[in-house]
Amino acid sequence: MTSLVYTITETLRYRGAIGQWSWVLHRITGLGVLLFLVLHVIDTSWAVFYPELYVRAIASYQSPLFTLGEFGLVACVVYHAYNGFRIALIDLRPKWWKHQQRAAYVVLAATAITLVPVFILMFSHVLHFYEDSPQVLGLIDVLKEQLPFVAGIALAVIAAVLFSAVTGLILGDKGGHARKGSKLERFWWSFMRISGVLIIPLVFGHLAMMHILQGVFDITAQTTVVGTPYINESATAVEFVGNRWGYIVGGIFIWRVYDFALLVLVTIHGFNGLRYVLTDYTMNSNLFRRASVYLATIGAVVLLVVGGAALFSTVPAGAIEEAEREVQLIYGESAGADSETEVLPTPAETAEAASGG
Amino acid sequence: MDMKFRIRRFNPEAEEGKRKPYWQEFTLTGVEETDRILELLHRIKWEQDGTLTLRRACAHGICGSDAMRINGVNKLACKVLAKDVGEKVQIEPILGLPVLKDLVVDMEPFFAHYKSVLPYFINNSPEPERERLQTQHDRELYDDTTKCILCACCTTSCPSYWANGEYVGPAAIVQAHRFIFDTRDEGAQERLDVLADPNGVWRCRTIYNCTPACPRGIQVTRAIGEVKLAIVRGSPEGVITEGAGEIAVSNS
Repeated sequence: MTSLVYTITETLRYRGAIGQWSWVLHRITGLGVLLFLVLHVIDTSWAVFYPELYVRAIASYQSPLFTLGEFGLVACVVYHAYNGFRIALIDLRPKWWKHQQRAAYVVLAATAITLVPVFILMFSHVLHFYEDSPQVLGLIDVLKEQLPFVAGIALAVIAAVLFSAVTGLILGDKGGHARKGSKLERFWWSFMRISGVLIIPLVFGHLAMMHILQGVFDITAQTTVVGTPYINESATAVEFVGNRWGYIVGGIFIWRVYDFALLVLVTIHGFNGLRYVLTDYTMNSNLFRRASVYLATIGAVVLLVVGGAALFSTVPAGAIEEAEREVQLIYGESAGADSETEVLPTPAETAEAASGG
Repeated sequence: MDMKFRIRRFNPEAEEGKRKPYWQEFTLTGVEETDRILELLHRIKWEQDGTLTLRRACAHGICGSDAMRINGVNKLACKVLAKDVGEKVQIEPILGLPVLKDLVVDMEPFFAHYKSVLPYFINNSPEPERERLQTQHDRELYDDTTKCILCACCTTSCPSYWANGEYVGPAAIVQAHRFIFDTRDEGAQERLDVLADPNGVWRCRTIYNCTPACPRGIQVTRAIGEVKLAIVRGSPEGVITEGAGEIAVSNS
């Protein structure tokens, strides 16, 4: 902890060039994206395992707090992607060091240039959504929905520290430290660069589909589901996910393969990044250094298992009805009564529309 | 011109309770633009406060003993002129090493890292009749890293080193680079094994604070990058295709 405080205060005081600030931003944006990844993978798995929870999660995502967060998330991803590409490139060709300073400015400029049209499109989704004076979850309700995550993360931290204390007792202070001559760190260095570059097209495609072409508000709209020919008849988030994961092209569930590749690469890249950040500042304490490694491992395993299990399952029959009931529950029976404020169609109307079309 | 100095002081022999670092200001009159910061620190020590403690030897940028943080950046006090810093200057000890007194830090942890990379020529094959030959091209590959004077400007400019004193640090990697890429040397593999440790080259996050900090103009981050690639490839061979270039100019 003293190491972290010392590094933060001295980083602020040392007049390093732009590279120093690129590094600070890279860490902050990386941690920001990782935090959302944890929420997102677990939330999305609920579409399969707990449809009613998924409905509530998407309701949270449609609240102003998460709309703000969504803009921040996209900015973080774009900066982290461009800056990561710069680092990977210069690490591969150290003799290009002369261009690094300019490259760091180019990264900032490219991020800004990318974000202008992206934010305009995202904001048009927001405006469109609020045109119809929709019902949104209150801030308190949204925060309440996040409590399980806070508890889960706290639990993971406690488990990692306890586990570290136990291994410390059994193995002495050696546990969790790479053995001499271990090639592990070399593997991770290469992995971070290769996976990072592979992630860029995957994550940009994902963002384009889920945040730009369609927004989080379209998940509960009765429109064509992005990347598929299907229409979200029930206008529920669960059907949206079901449609995407059920779309087969040439005998392949293309969006499942896509999401699985993204899940594996991003989760391992993200949690190894977390390990980098945490171990940088916990080298003075064997307990916390080991705990950092365990925490990153726990996080990665949980996300891969939960996300993987969801991707290999199908949305169960009756999940859509469950989701529809939950929509009613969240926004109340009056949701469909007042025709002027109505945005989420009631099941009856959905059925009508379906039979009509 | 007049010049204001703001200097970070620390007296380990101060009485209990007052043993804390503090700032002290000094004003010098009649400063010439071409005066070096080291000379001005001498003037403060000789004319105003004899207790001001700093380390220096050659005073000409060769011995590397007067590294300090001048206006927030690591420099050699003997290589910075008054006109480079303006009328106000702030001077602190370099970061990440224990401060012994005022601007003097304990360099032992730094030298321990230096020693860990086997910074000497290793060749156990029988000695040739005359000297071991090397082409000009091969000599150029590591020319840049022969210039290091072990002043610690690079290592103590590195946020990874501030966070974790067990990180071997840029200077030690530069010194290792000088031998790893020397075709006459046979100890490359041993050094690469030392630097493949989690606290070896991998703590480098390609931040580039070290490169501008070097008073000798060594391309420090580049050298670290080349050592990383040598570890990834398993051998230094073919990692560097062209040297830093300066020697080629001076030779022609």
